[in-house]
Amino acid sequence: MSQTQQASTARTGKPLERWLRTQAGAVRKLLLGSVALYVFDGLLLIGQAWLLARVIAAVAIQGQSLVAVWPWMWAVLVVFGVRALVTPPADMLAFEAGARVRLAVRERLVAQLQALGPVWARSQRSGAIAQTVTDGVEALEAYYHGYLPQIARAAFVPLAILVVVYPFDWVSGVIFTLTAPLIPLFMVLIGKGTAALNQHQWRQLTRLSAHFFDVIEGLTTLKLFGASRRQAAVVARISQTYRSNTMKVLRVAFLSALMLEFLATIAIAMVAVYIGFRLYYGEMAFLPGLFVLLLAPEFYRPLRDMGTQYHARMEAIGAAEQLVALFKRPAPTARAQSGSERLPQDVKLSQVALHDVYFAYESGPPVLENISLTLRRGKRVALIGPSGAGKTTIAQLLLGFVQPDAGHIRADDRDLSNIAQADWLARVAWVGQQPTLFHGSIADNIRLGVPEADAAAVRRAAALANAVDFIEALPAGYDTVIGDAGKGLSGGEIQRIALARAFLKQADVVVLDEPGASLDAETEALVAEAVARLARERITLTIAHRLATVRRADHIVVLESGRIVEQGAPDALLATASRYARMLAIYGGDADGATP
Amino acid sequence: MKDLWRLLKLFGPYRRWLVAGILLSTGVVLANVALLALAGWFITGMALAGLGLGTINYFTPAAAIRGLAIVRSVGRYGERLVTHEATLRLLTRLRSWFYTQLEPLAPARLQHYHSGDLLSRMRADIDTLEHFYLQVVVPCAAAVLCALVMTAYLLHLNITVALALLAGLLLVGVALPLAAGRLGAAAGTQAVNRYSDLRAALADAVRGMAELHVYQALTRQATHIRDLGTTLVAAQRRMACIDAIGDAAAALATRITLWLALVMVIPLVTADTLGGPQLVLIAFFVLAAFEAVSPLPQAFARLGETRAAARRLFELVDAEPAVTDPHEEAPEPAAFSIDFHGVTLRYSDSAAAALDGVNLHVDAGECVGIVGTSGSGKTSLFNLLLRFHDFETGRIEIGGESIRAWRGATLRRWCAVVDQRTHLFNTSIRDNLRLAAPQADDNHLWQVLRQVALADEVAAMPQQLDTVLGETGTRLSGGQARRLAIARALLKNAPILLLDEPTEGLDAESERRVLQSLATVMHGHTTLLISHRLQALQQVDRVVCIKAGKNLAMSAESI
Repeated sequence: MSQTQQASTARTGKPLERWLRTQAGAVRKLLLGSVALYVFDGLLLIGQAWLLARVIAAVAIQGQSLVAVWPWMWAVLVVFGVRALVTPPADMLAFEAGARVRLAVRERLVAQLQALGPVWARSQRSGAIAQTVTDGVEALEAYYHGYLPQIARAAFVPLAILVVVYPFDWVSGVIFTLTAPLIPLFMVLIGKGTAALNQHQWRQLTRLSAHFFDVIEGLTTLKLFGASRRQAAVVARISQTYRSNTMKVLRVAFLSALMLEFLATIAIAMVAVYIGFRLYYGEMAFLPGLFVLLLAPEFYRPLRDMGTQYHARMEAIGAAEQLVALFKRPAPTARAQSGSERLPQDVKLSQVALHDVYFAYESGPPVLENISLTLRRGKRVALIGPSGAGKTTIAQLLLGFVQPDAGHIRADDRDLSNIAQADWLARVAWVGQQPTLFHGSIADNIRLGVPEADAAAVRRAAALANAVDFIEALPAGYDTVIGDAGKGLSGGEIQRIALARAFLKQADVVVLDEPGASLDAETEALVAEAVARLARERITLTIAHRLATVRRADHIVVLESGRIVEQGAPDALLATASRYARMLAIYGGDADGATP
Repeated sequence: MKDLWRLLKLFGPYRRWLVAGILLSTGVVLANVALLALAGWFITGMALAGLGLGTINYFTPAAAIRGLAIVRSVGRYGERLVTHEATLRLLTRLRSWFYTQLEPLAPARLQHYHSGDLLSRMRADIDTLEHFYLQVVVPCAAAVLCALVMTAYLLHLNITVALALLAGLLLVGVALPLAAGRLGAAAGTQAVNRYSDLRAALADAVRGMAELHVYQALTRQATHIRDLGTTLVAAQRRMACIDAIGDAAAALATRITLWLALVMVIPLVTADTLGGPQLVLIAFFVLAAFEAVSPLPQAFARLGETRAAARRLFELVDAEPAVTDPHEEAPEPAAFSIDFHGVTLRYSDSAAAALDGVNLHVDAGECVGIVGTSGSGKTSLFNLLLRFHDFETGRIEIGGESIRAWRGATLRRWCAVVDQRTHLFNTSIRDNLRLAAPQADDNHLWQVLRQVALADEVAAMPQQLDTVLGETGTRLSGGQARRLAIARALLKNAPILLLDEPTEGLDAESERRVLQSLATVMHGHTTLLISHRLQALQQVDRVVCIKAGKNLAMSAESI
């Protein structure tokens, strides 16, 4: 993180904490219940100290026997028991508060992600977003489960002890009163110190780790360049430098911790010595003296424990920063399809046409200009062009993910932007370059658009997609659970499952984005056959990357820098000295040609 | 246990730091116990003296109380410094050791680690081991030392109280954490699994947003994510519940120990065997003693992780290197011709042969294309030449001499490689290029970048050659990354060129430019080019086809 970002973290710390507290509103009762129980436990702690002092004073000073103090001993035991019964529910109430906040925030985040939509999602790294929504949300836990109730307890217990101590022994009360405010003061100093440590050293450590694992990941490459042995020394040297730098910072950072420790410990020592002398001179009775001494460590303990809680708070604030950033991202409302015209189920569309369509992302330069093209039922249209020409944007327009800035798209005689989104989506299917398979069975993946489809329908769709053979060869068949990003399946197999998904949906309009990576020839033929079958009888646009697909098309559209530069039948285009012909020359030897 | 012992031995050179940290940590706890016990003893003695029931020399204890307070605070500071110093030294040691152990094993023995999942596992394992000292060794050793010293001290006051304290410490420090660990294990595993399910479902939801949208499954995915969240919380609730009860039980056990100590000592005071001040001393002593075992539950939880992590890493580095280097090397050959004579390769004993009696002759300076379906063993040829793997039978020669006569590093110096696994490091473009030629100046680097048609794009970056790549910097497109890798191979200027699908993933225009630049370099270098692209293969002198590990010779005309 750069310096400016660091400064912004410091500036936004307050609003972020306010955000965290706002989230607590919904679980207020749980938190209050937890705090009430902790406060009760604090009172019991004071009672316990008094009972113990009572027993010990009776024996040590008045020489009473065990029999005489038995009733008090039983009372002590009862207090122990009650305290053991009070703290677990206090903790669980706080846990419940944290859990509810996490669930609620995550649910809202998922809604926000979906509102941001597919065009936004395309540009994101899914792993990073998933991490924010899992780890980031989990990091909130400590704020509600730990920090909030503990801070309330840390504020109450010392105060209660002060109130009790003053009447018994005002000198100790004064010592407590004078030292106690210094502790939070040092706490803030430590907090600032550790925050700086967290931000600076921690980032350095992260960078150090990143370097180390970068080197390990690139070990083969290093070996190829004969640099792998050299790197061992580099790894050691960087770690050494990090160590000496860190220790320099730590020596100072730990000083404030030393002061804190010193203050709390020396205060207890002073209380003990003062009480001792006042007892010696008969200025106070033993029972209150012992009582105060028993309470002294308890007085400082919650204040010292705040250090750990401070960490929890810092972490939660760090996490909140990412979450708030995600929440604040404006959803592209104007872009989404917002019409309300219904599309009757029995109406079969016969064509979709783009008329003079212009489109630009946000305030960027136009991505598409003056696009006019017509897709007719049963006609195979192939869209070709270099990457960045705007092919994907045309697909997004057809799917209704974005709306044209000018011009319009018509489905028969209806304007696409007037049609209700749900009705339009019910009519379209899409198979992307790298289709996503979701965690779950193959059958569930095929059923994605039609969850109520039965096994026979799923099998029929798989058959149309040429996927039956490989699915049924798997030991668990359609129930095979798919791993991370389709792990265990080949690219061609993933393609065919995605095609089966499209077949099952029985859409009017199909948008296909051919995979760019090469499949082996046999698989490619199976995929191509399934694609041709899907295109038949439907309104189809194929973003083509393969020569074979282009050659089979009825109509070719050549896109360059957001404009259609040529369109027509393949033979007609080939006859002229067209860009298509030139491109064909470059495509030259595609996979099928080279494998003998 | 063996793994942990081995891990500790690894830390051998720093044992002084380790021991110093443990002793300071012990001292800090004991100073606090002594401070409170002495304070209790002191005020009771003073009270009795004040009542005329005894005499007391108050100077020494009063000074000792203040002294202990200082020892405690300064000791804590020292403990923090020493344990952190030790931890950072161990981090350096651990990483250097791990890297040195791993280096000879790459890439043959690390093949399975190429997937990101396993790499991040390894990362987490190293992380765990780095915290082994601070979070496991120090608290455990200090707790044992403290328990011994404290029990020994109480023994000379009263045996039963000493035993009661020891029993209490064992209960709170060992038995309860172990019981909680066992009870929570199932819920813990469940929580970990649900957590990774949740992460996967969220990644799916982002990656597959378009599909979910088109197939109108957004609500279903949201419900699925919510349900996963709810089951995750249910598992966490069980764990939290066990923890909360465990904490309460530990606190209760601490107080009961105190209570029992009082019940044991009070009759002794009545019988005058022990004095009043000693009763108070024991009470404070027992209360404070449990600070020694309070970090143990966390240490035990860490211990399990550490053992698993250590086992995995030791298993990894204990693998035999795939290839052993000769002690004496043959001299460098005069010409770099390549010969395979009946070469057979098997990646593991149970696997099918990846290469099965392959014969191949390449003249020095000749360019040979290699084609074949995926999995036919093309890449294995390169792995053998680079000495990443050893072959079973047959003979591989360079310049007429068996390649077993040279060290792997020497052979690799003679080969420039472009393949799929080329890694670009998270450093500047300049550093990435200079890996191949540490002395190359910027002019030379620009010249090579022009050769691979990357110069314009790099010149357009604001920081040009200083542009940092990767996670922390700019991300190159697949095509740019490939061209940079080719540039690096060109810079190496080695006599043998090994190209494995060098233009895979490039668009048609970049492919053309890359092939052009490769064509100029291939002249005069012994070249093996694996490709299935006709255009690429037009540049070679002849083509050889490999099918299922066996080769069929072909001339250039036959394709």
